[in-house]
Formats: sequence, C-alpha cells, structure tokens
Amino acid sequence: MTIRPTTTAVAALALGLSAALPAAAKDYLMVPARPDKLVIVDAAAMAIDKVIQLEDAGPLPQTPVVNRDGTRAYVMMNMLESIAIVDLVEGKTIGRIEMSGTEERVKGMFGMDLSPDGQTLVVYQSPVKMLADEFQVQPTRLAFYDAGTGALKSTAEVPRQITLVAWSKDGSKIYGMGRKMYVFDATGKQIEEKPIHGWEVETYAQPDVLDVWSQFEQSGVIATPYYTARLDGAPDDPETYRTGILTQDLDSGEMLMRDVEATDIFYFSTAASPTDKNRVFGAYNFLSSFDMEAGKPLKRVPLPHSYYSVNVSSDGRTVYLGGAMSDVSAYDAETLEKTGEVQMPGGASISLASVRMFQRQD
Amino acid sequence: MKHLTPANAKAAQFSEAAAEGREDEVVAMNSMVGCTTSFDPGWEVDAFGGVGNLCQPMEADLYGCADPCWWPAQVADTMNTYPDWSNDASDVYNDWRQLQSVFPKSKV
Repeated sequence: MTIRPTTTAVAALALGLSAALPAAAKDYLMVPARPDKLVIVDAAAMAIDKVIQLEDAGPLPQTPVVNRDGTRAYVMMNMLESIAIVDLVEGKTIGRIEMSGTEERVKGMFGMDLSPDGQTLVVYQSPVKMLADEFQVQPTRLAFYDAGTGALKSTAEVPRQITLVAWSKDGSKIYGMGRKMYVFDATGKQIEEKPIHGWEVETYAQPDVLDVWSQFEQSGVIATPYYTARLDGAPDDPETYRTGILTQDLDSGEMLMRDVEATDIFYFSTAASPTDKNRVFGAYNFLSSFDMEAGKPLKRVPLPHSYYSVNVSSDGRTVYLGGAMSDVSAYDAETLEKTGEVQMPGGASISLASVRMFQRQD
Repeated sequence: MKHLTPANAKAAQFSEAAAEGREDEVVAMNSMVGCTTSFDPGWEVDAFGGVGNLCQPMEADLYGCADPCWWPAQVADTMNTYPDWSNDASDVYNDWRQLQSVFPKSKV
C-alpha cells in the first residue's frame, strides 16, 4: 500500500477506550499474524504470552476487537468474510460468524467494533450478489451481531466508503469514518454528519484520508492523518502542502482537523495517548510525536523499516509500532528511542492488521 | 502532459477531461474502498518523485498491497482471487522470492 496524495491528502486512524482499570491490570498487545495466528504479547516484558491458532483465517486475520475484561476477541479474517470469536484465556475459537452466503459475498473490510457493554458487535459490510454472469453490488450496511452467540440481530443501510467504525464511549452512538464523519445511533440510523472531504473548502484542498487501522481503544480518540494543500499557497512552496491530524473524541463527540506540519513525509496511521489526548504519535517510515493543542511536531526519528500501525501504553509512556513486517517494537513516548522488540513466530508478517491493546488482571 | 501518453482507459479519460477543463470530474483515489473503486497509478515512485516515501524495504509493503486488493495489478489479489498466493511465504522478508506471478484462468 502506498500513499500518493495529489494536491489533496492521505491518512489512517485510531480510537480509544481509556477504561478505568484496576491498578494491577497489565497491558497486552493483540497482534494478528499471517496466515492464521493471533499473537498475544505481554507489553511490559515485550514477550509473547500466547499464540492462538485460528482456523480458515488466511491470508490474514486482520482486525481484532477485544472485550473490556480482555477475555474474548473478535477477529475479522478469511478474506474478510468471517469473524472468529476467540476465548483469550483458553486460547481457543469458540464461535464463528460467516458473513457470506451462497448468493451473496460479504466483505467486512476494516470497520468493526464492540459496544461498551460487550453485548453487540457492529460490522461495516460491503455485500455483492454473485449472479450467474454479473456481480451486483449491494448497498453497504452496518450489521449488528449478538456478541455472545454470533447471531445476526439487525442491519442498517449506511453510506459507502466508510472504513472505520467505533462506538461512542457511552454506547449511544456509532461513528463511521468515510468522506464524512457519519454519526449513527445504536441501531444504525444516521443522526449527524461532519465534513471531512468538505472541510474548510475556502482555505484547503480536499483532504486525502486513508483510515484502515482500528487503534482507538486506548485513548478513546480516533486520530487519523490527512494531507491537503493551502489554496492560497504557491504551488512551488513546500509549506503549501500540509499534513494534519483529524481527531474524533469518542467521549465528548468533538471532531477536530488540525494542521501539524508541512508535508515532507507521510504517516500511515496515528494514535493519541491515553494519558494526554493532545499528544499524538504518527508512524510509517518515521515515528513522530505531535502537540495537537499547539498544532506542531515535537520530535521525529527514522525507523528501521515501514510500520503501518501505532498504539500507546495505558500509562502513556510507551509507543508500540507494528504492521507491514513481522515485529512489534516499543519506543519511549518522550525520547522516541527504541526500547524493545518482539518478533512474530516464524517471522510471520503482520501485514495490514491493526495492532491493538487490551488489559487483563492477572 | 504533451510528453505523456495515457496507458489505460482511466488515464485517457483524465487527459480528455483536462483538455476540456473538466478534470475534477475524473476522480482518483480519495478513500480506501476496496478493489473495484480504488485507483492509484503506481507504486514505483512516491508523491515527491522519489522513493523515500515508499514502503521500506519493498518487501514490507507486499502483503499490505495484496491483502486489501490495493494494487491488484502489481501484486496478486489475496482478498478475492488468489488467497493462496502467499502460502509459502508468511515471512515476507526472507521468503518473498517464493511469491510468483499469477495469471487469470481462461474464461473460454
């Protein structure tokens, strides 16, 4: 995947859930690895805690979602057509949701989240009817599944081109990020929309957004980089081309798009700190930290290879990078110095998967 | 543009629209939406005309391009048509030479 903004822009996301946790709860990383593994990493020790084998998961288990007490995971996999329900304590698959049927192929793509009460799994679906000589594209929808049984409860037609979906922290709303930030109620009925591509059109070119990584669970904030250009800038002036970060607070509901630097490098994804929502980290070929209130970069370091996904420890002190290749690496959140690394078993690539975090009392 | 020749229908459409001042009507990639509507014109050169903002190393990006069907011309589409393409190469850094070209099955 390569980012190629035109005069507009690019990016990726992160959402959070800074749940009040008992002091003894430990941070774990949830790392999907090709073709069929779910790797649990003790984040403080940077050591593999458990490797869970999934069935019919390839080529990549892509988007995992973990429940609040860290005992159960839902994993989008099998060419994005199935969801495994996994008992994280036993390390076993206990259920499976098949989204496709004989006449309709359904891809889950990137948007999936669990309601704060742990009862309902919402999935953004792109269905296609597989007719004899025609693939007939069907309206995109949110599908609501019973998180306990995996049974489909309801669906609601929603706009196309949504990538990430995230529940508000109080469970009353669902945010869907696409050309706009769509806000739905808990049944999928649209109640609001906020411009993204139509943001400040008098001042900026249409922002380019790429947002396929769910990594908002720590901070309770979707953070995604975007790329744009000032319409009043000279085309040959590097300062005309701007990198910004969109933040959607899942607690307050506030969405902001803020300029942070001239575009001289790209970030595939960004994540906000759980201890300071104004501190955002971006990763790709460089790791950068940003002060969102001031709208400026704080520090930038080169990385040994490209990373797609970034997440932040519960104490806000460590940034974890993963995706693309086969390692997850830890960096000090202040100095951005590397502090640890763990390789996936067999060097298995993490590819496009979201590297997520959860907490569990041991 | 006079030294560039459109290499596909999309590029030709863009050239024609530009000549008529309607280039805004021909839309390149704005959002990630999957195989059928993602259009991105190549991965050999980055947006600055160099290679520094491409994935490093090249191997890092192979599966990120294959798994969401982002570059179905450059790497096999593992999301729909060639899910087994990478069966022998989970460790892309060491095994990428196992990845082979793929060819559509004959429809006749």
